[in-house]
Amino acid sequence: MSCHEFDRMASAYLDGELADEERRRFEEHLAACDACTRELAELKRLTEDLNMMRFKEPGDEELQRYWSGVYNRLERSIGWILLSVGVILTLCYGAFRIIEEMIRDPAISGVLKVGVCALIAGLVVLFVSLLRERLVVRKVDRYSREVER
Amino acid sequence: MNENDTVLLERCQAGDKEAFGPIVRKYAGRASGTACLLLGCPHEAGDASQEAFVRAWRNIRRFDTRSPFYPWYSAILRNVCKSRLRRRARRHTVTLTEGHRDPSNDSDPVMLAERNERKDRLWHAVMRLSAPFREIILMKHFQDMSYKEIAAALDIPIGTVMSRLHSARQALRETLAGEGS
Repeated sequence: MSCHEFDRMASAYLDGELADEERRRFEEHLAACDACTRELAELKRLTEDLNMMRFKEPGDEELQRYWSGVYNRLERSIGWILLSVGVILTLCYGAFRIIEEMIRDPAISGVLKVGVCALIAGLVVLFVSLLRERLVVRKVDRYSREVER
Repeated sequence: MNENDTVLLERCQAGDKEAFGPIVRKYAGRASGTACLLLGCPHEAGDASQEAFVRAWRNIRRFDTRSPFYPWYSAILRNVCKSRLRRRARRHTVTLTEGHRDPSNDSDPVMLAERNERKDRLWHAVMRLSAPFREIILMKHFQDMSYKEIAAALDIPIGTVMSRLHSARQALRETLAGEGS
């Protein structure tokens, strides 16, 4: 085994992830090479330090604040959905009434009527297109698969 | 998963929001630390992990209560953090391979238990690694995952896990050596 190959396998050796034959070859090289022995000792020290690291547990007050944050978001998400539905319905109704009034009003020119109709139709097409894109993205998003694990 | 978690999660599936509280409290520390490492930004960690809990709640009916909660939640959290990193990259404030933490900023909270100077230095060195390196250090050293589990989670060959983890550790050694440790 060369020093280069030794270096490539050093982390896996320390993590106990080498197969028996690889480990035997690794240890043979280790016994014969001082530079690699020193290198491994340094890497081992770092690995042990990393293994000692743990995330801190928040205090009670911090946890309460954290949970309140999550709870508020859960409640607000329902609010946002209702608000969005309300806005969409109101806008659709308003647009419908405006078009209806315009078509019936002979004082408004035909060009303006066509223009406003095109504007509203454009907005609808863009909205549907964005909605479709979101739904397609969601279908291929790894997230939607991962939540099923 | 312990029996208490199973009961609480079944209540969550029945729509009981209050039952979600003990679950969130139990995993909040680990979740915030994980988000911190994935994002390379302690200040965004709380917000991202809370967002992941909200997503977990919305999908709670799809969760199998016979399996442990944290790995399932962790997959969601990972996606939340990836989305945020992608958004950052699009805004050109940071790329997927670059952290954006200023190591000289001492006000950054260190999210470690039993801190000392040596661990703090190591933590700051970890935070300066690139996103893929931070992620693999997180999985190996904070989540105690085997190479096989990491390979499955990242959808990469075991050989890549071996070389990426080794490169991450070597990068850490270089950073620490550069600081004169």
